[in-house]
Amino acid sequence: MRGVALEKVVKRFGPTVVIPELDLEIEESEFVVIVGPSGCGKSTTLRMIAGLEDISRGKIHIGGKDVTWLPPKQRDIAMVFQSYALYPHMDVAGNMSFALRLAGKPRAEIEERVRRAAEMLELTDFLARKPKDLSGGQRQRVAMGRSIVRDAYCFLFDEPLSNLDAKLRSSMRTELAILHKKLDRTMIYVTHDQIEAMTMADRIVIMDKGLIQQVGTPREVYNSPLNTFVAGFIGSPSMNFLEGELHSDDPVKVKGQGFDLPLSPEMTAKAKRAPRKDVIAGLRPEHFAVNASRAGSSESTYAKIDLDVSVAEYIGSSQFLAATIGEVPVTASVEVGPTTEPMTSGTYLFDTSRLYLFDRESGNAI
Amino acid sequence: MKLTKIANGCAGFAAFAAACALGAAALANPYEKYAGTTIVVSWPALAHFQAAETLVEEFTEETGIEVEIDALQYLKLRDRQILEMSKPTGDYDVVSWVVMWKGEYVAKGLLTPLSQYFTSGSLVDPEYDIDDIADAYLQNGGIVGGKKGYMPGKSGALYGIPFGAETSILAYRKDILEEQGIEPPTTYDELRVVMKQLGDAGIPAMTSRGRTGHQVTAGWLLHLAPLGGKIFDDQWNPTINSPEAVEAAQVLREIAQTGPTGIPTFGFGEASAAFLQGDAALYLDTLKIAAMSRNPKLSKIDGLVGYGLHPVGTRCGSETGGFAVGIPANSQNREAAFLFIQYITSKAGDQRMVELGGDPVRISTLMNNADNFDEYPVVAEQLPCADPDWRPLIPEWNELNVDVLGQALTEVITTDDPIQTIMDAANEKAREIMEREGYYTWASYRGN
Amino acid sequence: MTDRASSDTDDLGRPGFNIRSLNPYLFIFPAVLVMVCGLVYPVVDAFYLSFYDWKIGMPFETAPFVGLSHFKRMIFDADVWESIWVTIRFGFWTILIEMVLGISLALLLEKPIRGASVFRTIFILPLMVSPVVVGLIWRYLFDARIGWINYYLGMVGIEPQVWLGDAELAFFAIVFTDIWQWTPFIFIIIIAGLQALPSEVLEASKIDGANWWQHILLVKLPMLKSIIVIALLMRLIDVFRALEVMYILTGGGPGRATELLSLHIYNRAFDTQQLGYASAISVLLILLVFGLSFAILVFSDPLKEKSDI
Repeated sequence: MRGVALEKVVKRFGPTVVIPELDLEIEESEFVVIVGPSGCGKSTTLRMIAGLEDISRGKIHIGGKDVTWLPPKQRDIAMVFQSYALYPHMDVAGNMSFALRLAGKPRAEIEERVRRAAEMLELTDFLARKPKDLSGGQRQRVAMGRSIVRDAYCFLFDEPLSNLDAKLRSSMRTELAILHKKLDRTMIYVTHDQIEAMTMADRIVIMDKGLIQQVGTPREVYNSPLNTFVAGFIGSPSMNFLEGELHSDDPVKVKGQGFDLPLSPEMTAKAKRAPRKDVIAGLRPEHFAVNASRAGSSESTYAKIDLDVSVAEYIGSSQFLAATIGEVPVTASVEVGPTTEPMTSGTYLFDTSRLYLFDRESGNAI
Repeated sequence: MKLTKIANGCAGFAAFAAACALGAAALANPYEKYAGTTIVVSWPALAHFQAAETLVEEFTEETGIEVEIDALQYLKLRDRQILEMSKPTGDYDVVSWVVMWKGEYVAKGLLTPLSQYFTSGSLVDPEYDIDDIADAYLQNGGIVGGKKGYMPGKSGALYGIPFGAETSILAYRKDILEEQGIEPPTTYDELRVVMKQLGDAGIPAMTSRGRTGHQVTAGWLLHLAPLGGKIFDDQWNPTINSPEAVEAAQVLREIAQTGPTGIPTFGFGEASAAFLQGDAALYLDTLKIAAMSRNPKLSKIDGLVGYGLHPVGTRCGSETGGFAVGIPANSQNREAAFLFIQYITSKAGDQRMVELGGDPVRISTLMNNADNFDEYPVVAEQLPCADPDWRPLIPEWNELNVDVLGQALTEVITTDDPIQTIMDAANEKAREIMEREGYYTWASYRGN
Repeated sequence: MTDRASSDTDDLGRPGFNIRSLNPYLFIFPAVLVMVCGLVYPVVDAFYLSFYDWKIGMPFETAPFVGLSHFKRMIFDADVWESIWVTIRFGFWTILIEMVLGISLALLLEKPIRGASVFRTIFILPLMVSPVVVGLIWRYLFDARIGWINYYLGMVGIEPQVWLGDAELAFFAIVFTDIWQWTPFIFIIIIAGLQALPSEVLEASKIDGANWWQHILLVKLPMLKSIIVIALLMRLIDVFRALEVMYILTGGGPGRATELLSLHIYNRAFDTQQLGYASAISVLLILLVFGLSFAILVFSDPLKEKSDI
């Protein structure tokens, strides 16, 4: 099979098991983002693919070739590091052409490839500069350029944007996405930032404690999180979790302290198959609404819910509400008009068609 | 109380009778006036002086004069003494110097002439007999002024008495020479033949100092005087390329060729160790080798060593060296200091030093103990022809010794280059130094 | 307004004397004092002495002022030039070999191989031995009569050599001893430098396809350049300072075969007792060291390079 595949890969550092057992298949030309909190094993996984870290058990294939015991240079990969890892003693052109020079490519070809990469990254004017004379964003581009000229089969990115400021980061996200389209190469990108994952990835791999929690498109992981971890990790602000019980009234309802929400027909069908009544209800902040705006017809999927608001943060088109339901602190994000006063406690609406239910014991989605 | 103390102090003394008789005859103890005085003695922390500490205690017992000894490492001694003696009033009442330093001390006015005490009837012990002290030692260590400034003569005067002085003798391995059927050499011609014989037999012949600098020069100087050479003629013209000097260098080269391995690295310690450890058949240097060869900690050859006179070349001339004691000009207790010096160099004191393991300076002491020490008769015979002028005691000597001769003689023993050429170059260098230091001013003044 | 300007004004903003502006000077005062007493004074004093013909033991007041004649004498003094030549050859061989050995060993022992840490500890022991002891140890090892080196050479049938009494062998001996003593210094500095190298850059080079040699020659060593230059500089200055070991090992002999400039100065000052002339030569030594250090610092600028890693 083409692409990148990890088969039953295990990584131990001494007695510590970092990756218990991991299977992952990445399609050719796919942009996969591995995301998770720090210490979840995402960087280790990337370094194992790169060959910078030996694996304790299992196999790794890149482009259909078993590379498990090959050194990095024989894996046909390029890598961009968090610290950029530029060679401080070489100028930009030297940094970008280093791999080509090592590979003994003809001079003309090297120059051509460096020129094209520099143009693509708008680095043409800086080719003769040393890394210390560049800004953070420029260094980042050089690091990118260094991997682009390689024309490798697979590109690996280890949190490449985390040292940039917020504005630069978002523009680099876009550039990366464009770059991926242009190069049409397999890219594996590690980050702890779920926004980067959501914006760039064809597929997202969410990891926690060395285990893959879910693999899916951004849409899938947002809309159909497999468990509370994925649900809480994807989406900003994070999903609110409330403990409750299922009640088989008509319509079926989930009730808990301070809330009583009817289920949508699809959810009702799922809830009937649930093994037990103890559940966790997941409510994304953005699915709350102001009472007045959506009240109305009986087909409305909105149900009433009381929020005890302590602070309302004004962020433009919406307000973030720090509130409690029952005694559980929750966040809600409600769209309001530009002149609306800060919202206060009272009855709000929640879109029950966007309600998530998880088994309270396993945390898995119902 | 004091009487018992004196009696105790005298007990066991060879000088018992003499000392007590003197006291009785004068009806007063000659030391009484100075009892309770404390004198400070500066001398090196060397074996002879360490042995003398017992004698010093006995001196205090007998005289009531307290003695504080400031024993310093040899290398620090001179700087410290000069520092003390340059003060208006110094702490030292007796100083011990290496003969090399005497000219400098006197030139700077740091020492008291001893003549002023030898004129004092109340201080001088009539039985002291200064003529019994080996002439070569006395001239070498004690007399300053005179001819050349460091030799006896009408312009000279006595500033110190030798104490811990030494001369050079030949020591040889009786067993090896006997085995090879070789007689101990008495002349330089014989010595050179013997060295060759031993060398041909695969036996390292003579050990010698040979380390670059003053060590190799010392090795050469041992042969210079007996072979009739001098460093300077009477007009301070260097003569280290004279036939005699070149012959001395030739002898040194032959020694290095036939002697134990490593002579170019030998200082005094290594050179002596080579003989004491049985790696050389002949030793021509200080008489101290005799005491060292009897010391089981140093020697593997106790009982195998015979002694002979320093071989004769054109003349008999052994080296003399070692220490002398005198009184700083800024001492506050000069009479007591004189009594101390007189005591430790008296016949009784000299005999006592032999008993304590030190080196005697008196001919009578050497003769009286000849039965106990194999080398003493040889030393007594050697001393009359010892040469106190085997090297010049002038300030420029340091530079000549280390920079000129020390370098040239290293070339002699480590290369096969013609010796005459080497010594010619050295002589020219020496002349330049003397020129620079103004020694030829008188000659050029007369010449004009 | 800069910080400095504001510190020159009082609390009401009026310009003038402010006790707090003295603080920096107060804090560096002890360091300056130590510098002046320990460094500036001896140098100035040596410079002063070089104009007098002072022989040890003579009261200084009686030493004649000789102007520049010591310096004139020095220019034509073949012994001084010979010492400088010995020093240059000594510096060249010791530094070259120490650098190559020290850097190679550091590169080999950088990784935590089994036993590497034990070896590292043993290897740096010579650094902890006082130079005087080093001199004595090697003097006995090289001793022609009783030394181990001749003993073991004898076991394989090689004639005993007078290591310290032959011009070439003695030079070899001091170079060898210096290498033995100072290679660990280079080793430690380079190991420290290697461990401070950013690991991601090294990984980048592996991914870029550098083999073992390319990895070392094209990435590691260029990144260590500033540290190597500093080590080189320190060794270079040490070469001019080296005294104790050679003093004990050979005393400069045989002849002047191992007489480094520093030892030559020492011998002139204390053996032949010409303090004034020795001071003049030491002024030359100071100028040489100063010039060399300055040149290296200017041409390599290690401190500037340092900041970008």
